[in-house]
Amino acid sequence: MTDFRALLAALTDAGVEFLIVGGAAATAHGAARLTADLDIVYHRTQENCQRLVSALRDLAPYLRGAPPGLPFRWEEQTIANGLNFTLTTNYGDLDLLGEITGGGGYEELLPHAIVLRPFGIECRCLGLKRLIEVKRAAGRPKDFEAIAELEAIVEERGE
Amino acid sequence: MESGRPLQSDPVIEDYKRDVDRTLIRENLRLSVTERFEKLMALQQFAEELRRAGRDARRRK
Repeated sequence: MTDFRALLAALTDAGVEFLIVGGAAATAHGAARLTADLDIVYHRTQENCQRLVSALRDLAPYLRGAPPGLPFRWEEQTIANGLNFTLTTNYGDLDLLGEITGGGGYEELLPHAIVLRPFGIECRCLGLKRLIEVKRAAGRPKDFEAIAELEAIVEERGE
Repeated sequence: MESGRPLQSDPVIEDYKRDVDRTLIRENLRLSVTERFEKLMALQQFAEELRRAGRDARRRK
């Protein structure tokens, strides 16, 4: 099980600049579909990457699906050398995304974010309509059901 | 801030939309964001218990 409260607290306590996207964002907006991980888009500045390293250091981050024992080091240079990371942590699965298809990076997405307070933790989440646009732009058939549900949420909200 | 632009209709998505269970959505929209995440975590736990039960059953065969 992914402990969303613990992951969000770890990120915000360290001052990481991030937005919730993907299935967790859909949940926040009212979707009923099961999602297994927390997807975030992080701000790719040097300072923020340092905060990200600090936030996850004690959570045993490791590449999801990779064989055990790889020389994976959770440090700033690792983030600088990559962009998107699918990780396991002590609190569950966490996807760190430098960019998302059709949406860009943190700065492009930030104007479309809303502020939420799940578990009393203030964090940003991609707005519903932008989330739909991004999923549409990705064009993945596996997202069709999720997009349909998100659009139904828009209708149910009367927007 | 959310975009105010209306979403353009997509016939493929409209077709999928017919199968969306809106009672679940309405139920979720009555919950707080925290409650929605708590519900998701409970669902994850239930799914994991089902997987474990399935594995145990296969081992017993």
